[in-house]
Amino acid sequence: MRLLTHNMLSSNVKGVVNGFPLRLEASTWVEKEVDFNADFLRSMFSKIDWPALFGAAQTVGYVALPESADASMLESEDFLKKFHHALLEIHVEEGALVCPETGRRFPINKGIPNMLLNEDEV
Amino acid sequence: MATLLRTCQPFDPRGLSSARRFEKEKRKPNPSRVLHQRRSQRSSFRAAMAAEGLKKGIAEFYNESSGLWESIWGEHMHHGFYDTTTPASVSDHRSAQIRMVDEALRFAGVPEDSSKWPKRVVDVGCGIGGSSRYLAKKYGAQCQGITLSPVQAQRAQALAVAEGLADKVSFQVADALDQPFPDGHFDLVWSMESGEHMPDKNKFVSELTRVAAPGATIIIVTWCHRDLSPSEDSLKPDEITLLSKICNAYYLPEWCSPSDYVKIAESLSLKDIKTADWSDNVAPFWPAVIQSAFTWKGFMSLLRSGWKSIKGALVMPLMIEGYNKKLIKFTIITCRKPE
Repeated sequence: MRLLTHNMLSSNVKGVVNGFPLRLEASTWVEKEVDFNADFLRSMFSKIDWPALFGAAQTVGYVALPESADASMLESEDFLKKFHHALLEIHVEEGALVCPETGRRFPINKGIPNMLLNEDEV
Repeated sequence: MATLLRTCQPFDPRGLSSARRFEKEKRKPNPSRVLHQRRSQRSSFRAAMAAEGLKKGIAEFYNESSGLWESIWGEHMHHGFYDTTTPASVSDHRSAQIRMVDEALRFAGVPEDSSKWPKRVVDVGCGIGGSSRYLAKKYGAQCQGITLSPVQAQRAQALAVAEGLADKVSFQVADALDQPFPDGHFDLVWSMESGEHMPDKNKFVSELTRVAAPGATIIIVTWCHRDLSPSEDSLKPDEITLLSKICNAYYLPEWCSPSDYVKIAESLSLKDIKTADWSDNVAPFWPAVIQSAFTWKGFMSLLRSGWKSIKGALVMPLMIEGYNKKLIKFTIITCRKPE
């Protein structure tokens, strides 16, 4: 699961008011090189919740990302490279996504999050 | 929805026996008002049990049979699209399956102009990710695929990695009726032959609408039963019987008609609603699938896969019968979320 995916997943447990962002627990992750595409990163930026991305990156030990970001930083190649790495090159293989309100754990196995709710959670 | 017909029994692989046991323990003499409450509690409990059973059944069916399908038919778990005017080249099914995707995009009016291509796609009921990978390659888009089957999600991911698309497509195990995505995130919402698995068509289309961005295109390609004539309240008994057998083998809930989908889309204020009957364009498909089951490879693979797959194979002639009787309609419904 890339951090790009983490950035769009939320908890649907019944009664939850704000299920985003899910807290990331990562026991195993890998880094895979991805072709750099500045245009893509610039177009994605406005869709990204930066605090969620920052928090997830911290969890997997990538501390180079600035804590806050604005569109002007997209001019900087250095910033773009860090954004690229955090968003696309870190793959969480094993771990969990945790609902911020209920603590409900959605497991990540072999890179695939399981977001299915049980009958009583819907 | 009042017009949705009960063409199939509510799905419960345990035959509702546990539901009945629960009811027996709870039953006591009651005034009629409370009796009414209990009846509706029982029916919503039964519905919840049925929905859980259906989801488990679907996941197990595809966990078991996906590998078999892929080995014979490849990565696209949907019908091929064939010309009605020229004899079908039934040896070329893969390109027919790809053509199905392209015809659906064209019908929906997804622009050819690359500056207007979708950038974020959701593939609802993604199977082993055939559509997701195709759309990611075609549009350079980010695609998220969801399926109830963990086996399918893993295979979809593995194929994405093998094709160098792991940076563009992602897969999750998730429920199409309760998608883990924020509102308005996707500019193309894609459901290719998964709608027939959805027990609540209203909820299904509502969720597709919720996750669609303003102006997004929604494409549903699915199995429906024929529209009812104005004088009909339901399908004929033999039609209901036929569909029930198909439902049982393929883990399908109640069917609806193309008009039902159109009414739901209208009720959600979706725009540019279009629908078409592509039954004639998929006619060569099931005979070809049956033929493949009778090859040595197909037959042995079936035996190895398990009872659910075998049951699915045995019911294939009923699909042909359904199409021949004009009962089953291969339907496309497309629309747009208002800006």
